Amino acid sequence: MEFDTQLLYAIDEALLGIMILIIMFGMGASLTVDDFKAVARRSRGVLIGFMSQFGAMPLVALGLAIVLDLDPAFAIALILIGCLPGGTTSNMFTYFSRGSVALSISMTTASTIMALLMMPILLSLYTTGFTQQLSEALFAAGEAGEFVIPTKNIIISLVLVLVPVAGGMVLRRFSPGWAKTAEDTAGFMAIIVILFLLGTLFVRHGDILIRTPWQLYVSAIGLGLAGFFFGFWVSRLLGLQPIFQRAISLETGIQNGPVSFAIILLSFADTPVRDQMLWLAILYSAFIVMTSSFITLYYRKKGKFDWEVYRNTVVHNRLFGEDYVTHYPEGFLPPRIAHDPSQGTSPSQKR
Amino acid sequence: MESRIIASNLADLYKKAADRYESLPAFATRVKALEWDHVTFRDLYEEGRALSAGLIEIGVEAREHVGLFSDNRYEWMLADYGIQLSGAVNTPRGADVTDDELIYIINHAGIRVAFVENDALQKKIKRLWPELPELQEVILMSPNSEPLEGFRALREVMAIGALQLEKGDNRVDERMKGIRPDDLFTLIYTSGTTGKPKGVMLTHSNMMSQMSVIPIELACTDRVLSILPIWHIFERVFEVYTISCGACNYYTSIRTLGEDLQNVEPTFMGSAPRLWESLHQRILDNVRAAHPVRRALFHIAYFLGHYYQESIFYITDNDLQLKSESRIKRTIFKVGHLIRLLILVPWYGFFNAAVLESVRKSAGGSIKATVSGGGALPIEIDKFFNYIGIPVLEGYGMTETCPVIAVRTEDKLVNGTVGPLVPDTEVRIVDLESEEILFPNSKYPHEGRGMRGEIWVRGPQVMKGYYREPEITKTVLREGGWLRTGDLGMMTFNDSLKILGRSKSTIVLSNGENLEPEPIEMQLRQSRYIEQCMVVGQDQKYVGALIVPKLDAFVEDGVKAENLQDLAENDKANRIIRDEIRQMMVRTGGFKRFEQVREFRLLSKTFKVGDEVTNLFKLKRHVIEKKYEQTIKEMFTAKEIKV
Repeated sequence: MEFDTQLLYAIDEALLGIMILIIMFGMGASLTVDDFKAVARRSRGVLIGFMSQFGAMPLVALGLAIVLDLDPAFAIALILIGCLPGGTTSNMFTYFSRGSVALSISMTTASTIMALLMMPILLSLYTTGFTQQLSEALFAAGEAGEFVIPTKNIIISLVLVLVPVAGGMVLRRFSPGWAKTAEDTAGFMAIIVILFLLGTLFVRHGDILIRTPWQLYVSAIGLGLAGFFFGFWVSRLLGLQPIFQRAISLETGIQNGPVSFAIILLSFADTPVRDQMLWLAILYSAFIVMTSSFITLYYRKKGKFDWEVYRNTVVHNRLFGEDYVTHYPEGFLPPRIAHDPSQGTSPSQKR
Repeated sequence: MESRIIASNLADLYKKAADRYESLPAFATRVKALEWDHVTFRDLYEEGRALSAGLIEIGVEAREHVGLFSDNRYEWMLADYGIQLSGAVNTPRGADVTDDELIYIINHAGIRVAFVENDALQKKIKRLWPELPELQEVILMSPNSEPLEGFRALREVMAIGALQLEKGDNRVDERMKGIRPDDLFTLIYTSGTTGKPKGVMLTHSNMMSQMSVIPIELACTDRVLSILPIWHIFERVFEVYTISCGACNYYTSIRTLGEDLQNVEPTFMGSAPRLWESLHQRILDNVRAAHPVRRALFHIAYFLGHYYQESIFYITDNDLQLKSESRIKRTIFKVGHLIRLLILVPWYGFFNAAVLESVRKSAGGSIKATVSGGGALPIEIDKFFNYIGIPVLEGYGMTETCPVIAVRTEDKLVNGTVGPLVPDTEVRIVDLESEEILFPNSKYPHEGRGMRGEIWVRGPQVMKGYYREPEITKTVLREGGWLRTGDLGMMTFNDSLKILGRSKSTIVLSNGENLEPEPIEMQLRQSRYIEQCMVVGQDQKYVGALIVPKLDAFVEDGVKAENLQDLAENDKANRIIRDEIRQMMVRTGGFKRFEQVREFRLLSKTFKVGDEVTNLFKLKRHVIEKKYEQTIKEMFTAKEIKV
């Protein structure tokens, strides 16, 4: 699939840039220095989350690209999305899915920092085959040059994206009230961005949805779903408790979409594949909101019981003392929860 | 998961709860914000057993009435355990009981043994002792003060009992075995305003029927915050229900409610309209104090919530259906609502998550459900909470029905009604004058749904009668076990009960104070400026009056008015009446503070015989209320702040 005209015009790009700025600023406004410190305290969960985010997710992206036989441009975009850090959207979904918001926030902060190191490594590792294909295609088309992943530019874009995040954190430090406003505005903005992009594209390229091959839809939807699936099972098999399973699942599947826009616009600006990459990123961002809504509703229902047991333990410990252990009647807790260290059913099992 | 305990009587339920829930916390009381004492189901039961043995030892007989004068505290429940396990009956009342009430209740119920909460109460009893010929033993509940001479401390009675149990005394077990379903478990005196309080006799089977029909699921993981007075049957039934489910009751107070909501994270709570009113006020205050951006976000969220929920209500047939509608019309409207819903969903989804959730959190985030009872919830407040996503399950009942007759459930959440009847309960809507059954009656279309009349109830929760008042009982408890509630209501077309007011003239203010309008009206009619008047204020914060002024008197005083219409709009006339009311109320001094008329409206027409008054000049209250509905509404909303 090729675009005969430019996907986005300069004015759209400028607007998109401002929106990304606001979203990242809002993300910063929801974070405090303590959140970074807390990463160390939740090292086990964060580590498992890290494996899931930077281990499983890029591999899933690579697998999808190969299985669906995507065009190299789309394959690179899919892998790029697979390597992205988590965003604040996942924190909100985790909250409603009765998962551990604290872990979600820790994972978001950790992955945002780690992305500076991991993204360039993973991208160059997994995209080699596709960049070669691209170069050959370019050569065949009679154009000179070789297509390489602009590693340096990606790092610079990531750093640039972190500037408004830091700005948001400073605001949070000095005015929590305004920070909350910025956070909500950013959340609202995220929806507006997606609708704005889709709207613009409809106006400019009316038939774009029809011209998009089915493989692209499958990969855009499948990447998120596979992320949820692997995140859930990786953490479950490694013995994390249900509230952390749900947090890691959502954090893995939901990537920081605006960061991908920023990287594509800043780092791939002069390449011929920019528009294709951008289109896949837009599709992913649009679908992930829907899939995570459904997954959240499902988790919320499924996790009702273990969440209530967990909250009761938390409140009992808060009011009756840290050493208090709640003894439920025989058979009230299903075996999986009864033997779960997090539920505090016996002192030796407590966190 | 069905987790409630079904038992044959209250004592049996207490025993089964101890056996099943053992060391789970049953009651928790606050020491500091983050430090609470708790007692387990097992300990509570064992302490109750000791107390029971002690009570038997000091002479409490089976089926004897034991006084229990105290507000909510752990010892209240302990005393109740002790009394129930000895097969006795408690006669509860709050610590603010007046001298007259105390004398009346103790003598009328024939109380020989009474629990009192604190030092002030034991001194009061001491002072009134000469007027209490039958009273023999007084037991002080609070461990913080010493019992007066001749009185006992609760712990002392428990110690006596513990000694007895050690000696192998098995009278407690025998008493428990001897409890029949038809025996009373409590005798509650309702604060009557005309004449004396009436003792409502409620039986173990009344209580047990409520345990099986309450349509709310609780489990061992639930936390119930308790704030209403326990000696009201409404709160008491929910506390016993909490025990039956193995959940924990946390005692809070008005002063610490906000803090405790955050710390206890209750999942359920029994509540009264006043609580919702103040919560509503607090939310609006917070919104007003917020940043303009956040305020705007809230208003957008509320707007979306409003239309989203209304569509949901319509599609699920949970809208208020006061009139019969054709199926075709409803289907067309449903399609419309479905389209509206689809348009709203993404926006509502976001605003619900980002804005409404934090509002809900400030109102105690984990609350799954809350039943509001003890008075009508103003419809605006009812809707407000439903729109922001806190379903309020409004219920309807009275002490005489132990108390729940109907309550909204999550599946049938019809705003403006008190929901469907609880299982095993029947309701009739009866014409006030002819006593004809209007509902259910196949003579009328839709079996008589939508017709207004007095509500009569029959079911396992209906009381045995008023203690030692067979005549009064006979007027209320009719043939076939039907209880006249004295409330007006109708059955909606989706089978929810709607309460329309009282057929008796008693006015219940929103703070629960009862008052009779007649004496006040009589007093006001003494004025030379007042021709006719009617006092109103059901479910309101204060008393108001509709007044038909005497035109001549004002003309004599130089007020320029041709007719009543002019007079009603005349500032001077209104001023004169305001002063007059103040003087009339003060002059006699016989009125309580809450009985003072705080607001009034001058009517532009007199009451007509046969229309608004009977030919004996008695006011037809609901006719007048209906006719001046708008005026009354205005009178009470003028001072309130709208959304």
